[in-house]
Amino acid sequence: MTTIDTPRAGDLAGAPPVAGAGPVDNYLTWTKGALSWIFTLDHKRIGVMYLTGVLVSFLVGGLFALIVRTELIAPGKTFIEPETYNMFFTLHGAVMVFLVIIPSIPASLGNFVLPIMLGAKDVAFPRLNLFSFHLWMIGALFTVLALLLGGFDTGWTFYTPYSTKTDVGGVVPVLFGVFILGFSSIFTGLNFIVTVHKMRPPGMTWFRMPLFLWAVYATALIQILATPVLAITLMLVGLERAFQIGIFDPAMGGDPVLFQHFFWFYSHPAVYIMILPAMGIISDLISVHSHRHIFGYTFIAYSSVAIAIFSFLVWGHHMFTSGQSALLNTIFSAITFSVAVPSAIKVFNWLATLYKGSIALNTPMLYALGFIFLFTIGGLTGIYLGTLNVDVHLHDTYFVVAHFHYVMMGSALIGFIGGLHHWWPKMFGRMYNENAGRIAFVLVFIGFNVTFFTQFMLGSQGMPRRYYDYKPEFEIYHFISTIGSYVMALGFFLTAIYLLHSLFRGVRAPANPWGGRSLEWQCTSPPPHDNFKTTPTVGDCYDFSVVRWDDDENGYVVDRSQMDSSTESSGSGH
Amino acid sequence: MNGLLLSGFEIAANLLATAPQNTGVTPANFWMPEGASIQAPGVDFVFNLINWINYVFFALIVVVMVWFCIRYRQRSKNVEFAPGPVHNTLLEVTWTVIPTLILIGIFFMGFTGYLDLYTPPKNSYDIKVTAQQWSWEFEYPNGAKSTDELVVPAGRPVRLVMRSKDVLHSLFIPDFRIKQDLVPGRYTYAWFQSDAVNDPDDPSDFRWLFCTEYCGKSHWNMNVQVKVFGEEAFDQWTKDQARWLDMIDDEDLYFMAGPKLYARCVTCHSLDGSDGSGPTWGPRAGMGDLWARITDRTGKIDGGRKSNGGTSLEDYIGPGKLYETAEDYVRASIYDPGALLVSGYGNQMPTFEGQLNDRAIDALIGMMKNLDEFNPDGSFKDQARVEEALARIEANRAAASQGAMEQQGTTPGDGDDS
Repeated sequence: MTTIDTPRAGDLAGAPPVAGAGPVDNYLTWTKGALSWIFTLDHKRIGVMYLTGVLVSFLVGGLFALIVRTELIAPGKTFIEPETYNMFFTLHGAVMVFLVIIPSIPASLGNFVLPIMLGAKDVAFPRLNLFSFHLWMIGALFTVLALLLGGFDTGWTFYTPYSTKTDVGGVVPVLFGVFILGFSSIFTGLNFIVTVHKMRPPGMTWFRMPLFLWAVYATALIQILATPVLAITLMLVGLERAFQIGIFDPAMGGDPVLFQHFFWFYSHPAVYIMILPAMGIISDLISVHSHRHIFGYTFIAYSSVAIAIFSFLVWGHHMFTSGQSALLNTIFSAITFSVAVPSAIKVFNWLATLYKGSIALNTPMLYALGFIFLFTIGGLTGIYLGTLNVDVHLHDTYFVVAHFHYVMMGSALIGFIGGLHHWWPKMFGRMYNENAGRIAFVLVFIGFNVTFFTQFMLGSQGMPRRYYDYKPEFEIYHFISTIGSYVMALGFFLTAIYLLHSLFRGVRAPANPWGGRSLEWQCTSPPPHDNFKTTPTVGDCYDFSVVRWDDDENGYVVDRSQMDSSTESSGSGH
Repeated sequence: MNGLLLSGFEIAANLLATAPQNTGVTPANFWMPEGASIQAPGVDFVFNLINWINYVFFALIVVVMVWFCIRYRQRSKNVEFAPGPVHNTLLEVTWTVIPTLILIGIFFMGFTGYLDLYTPPKNSYDIKVTAQQWSWEFEYPNGAKSTDELVVPAGRPVRLVMRSKDVLHSLFIPDFRIKQDLVPGRYTYAWFQSDAVNDPDDPSDFRWLFCTEYCGKSHWNMNVQVKVFGEEAFDQWTKDQARWLDMIDDEDLYFMAGPKLYARCVTCHSLDGSDGSGPTWGPRAGMGDLWARITDRTGKIDGGRKSNGGTSLEDYIGPGKLYETAEDYVRASIYDPGALLVSGYGNQMPTFEGQLNDRAIDALIGMMKNLDEFNPDGSFKDQARVEEALARIEANRAAASQGAMEQQGTTPGDGDDS
């Protein structure tokens, strides 16, 4: 048996643990004190810190959304002025995209799970990993600073020339903040790519990797290739505001549509930065909780990478009415349809995985099934928007708002929350209240559909987005939508309560509560500082025929005597 | 029971009878608003087609998912898990090929439909559209301009030649199924043809035009009504519109032209004292209404390009000062809004130089002076006086056309020689 060639994940601050400091050695009790967290090099602690930051941002962005929805509950002024309303929908979008959804799965869950799933002791560059978290914190602080300096009202898309002309004070700080967040994302992606290439233990071949790893790998490719374009674009907007360099403003010889090309060259791939990792989570959740081998592994693995590549070629479908030429519109429409196919096939693969499975409707599984429902709606409504003549009518209406909420929230974020529930026992060693989890899921699921399905009707009937007020015939839809958002908020509130409660009062989690086969379920919950005492045994992570329930463990165990030695390997071959 | 059935039947019959009466209109349904352009049925057809395909696939996916979850739910934890199939080539090819073919079909329908939307016929009637924060201006071939409504001729293709003076805007008429961004620094185009003539006396019959590209504070309020007129009514309207200001008698100007012009101001300047993007014309706390603030010269000033450091209008209005009279100040504020900035407001307002002539400025000043005669929405309270003024305009118009006909009759070819 060879040892894994891994850099030791030491701590900058704090000594190694004193023997007997805690009941069981795990990453949470390894060292103590705030500094041992802030300067940790442990991917698990960095993941937990990201998770905390993302969840706090989610709370803030969610409150902004509730402010927007409450203002819209009735026509006319409900409680805020138009300027304030414009700031809140901008803040909601910017916080949710840049501080919540983009880092949610890769940076928080990915950081925690990826090395363990892979069988490594840490990521390839632990110091770079810590640096990207610190960058994320600095970027988030700049967003707060932008709020204090008068906020910003450009929409999260920063379209020029409005964004170079508006006189509110927070535009430059938030541009700088997003610029920094971009580098945080690039470094995380770089780290994951190198980790997946270089740190796989013996036996962990590419096609034995759990699909979550394929998805995070494909996401990382987009992160390092697309994010620099966003960084450059936002820098140009900042320079244009400060020095009037005339890149985007036609009054100075620039072209505002050029900004849209630059922006969507990043931001369309960014949609896949959000959705690909969620698809990876769903592949694993569906398989683990139905205890059934994932159907069409190879296709799903390749399609993740294919979607990542194609995502760079469809940005123009955001610009069908921008004044872009008919030829470009046609090409972008055609390529957009070609991306739809692999996404559809993934849904069929997940359904086929359920067939003849042993389906346990645990909270994570409910979120995975909810994902399939919501992603199907999000995907099918994308067809209207990819179709040229129909998009002309629907563009920039609530139909688009509903569509991207089904994809970005109903899919990406629901996937994240499903993954959070799946790995929560692993991360913190505690089980949450399963019934509370199911009730909260039902509230979130119903609330979500009530909120956003009504917005499809609003949009197709002609209600433009980013409107402070509206015609009386739209009132009933807005009213229902706002009520839905309150139900959803209640569901998330309940989730926060039972998850926090589980940290202190939860039943101790077994190593493998769900019956998973991938490597993270082989180490204790929570995992030890070094993840694995010995090189883990790598098998087919979707073969559940060797998984058994064990009453003593109160969890599942992998029955090694049943393993087919030809498909398992430990330390042989690289 | 019988009566109930009968009345239900009657309602249905009435619905069927009333629906097709309005020619050129496709009725609103659960998803789409009324369609009132010749392009609308094409867009709606593709929309509905995708709808039905989606209903089928969505139902299929959800039914299969729910059925599997019930049928194959885990009944006990102490079971052996079967290995299960890893893939199935026939199944996978099938569910790849069928969606691909469907999507190719939808793409081509959207593409051909888009070319119809995109390509205006050669004989189109051109209307110039200019957008700025936060108003629209429509200019007709005869020089007529309209800012509070878009009036279009029925039964012929209309091409909109569009530009923006400041930031991005987008012109969206849901009932016509058209949308096109207006981009500063270039022209963009949209076209439509509506055969559905609106009833000029029924405001609920008009269409709406929305701005759909976020353009700042009053983006949500950058909407005007679209009215489709028959050929005769449209010709009359454009003629009147070209010289409507001239046809109004001087003493009627402030209440006849004022509300019409004020339609461009309303997005920022309220009449009732409520706060907006710009100072209200109505009373501000402790300072009186706009005209009082200007004539008392108590209005506070916060810099601006022509600022001399003074902090109230007292330092700017008066003999020998920047503006001789209050009227001068108002006129300058409309033509060069950045010259002096009212305290608490930024340099937001675009210039209206070249868009509002002297009579238009007179009308607006007259309205400011007589604010108590207007409702908060800008309409004039005394509708009887409006009726009288309309009658005078009608008389003037009749006299003018009489004169024109006489002139044409006595000196044929006069127009060509001059």
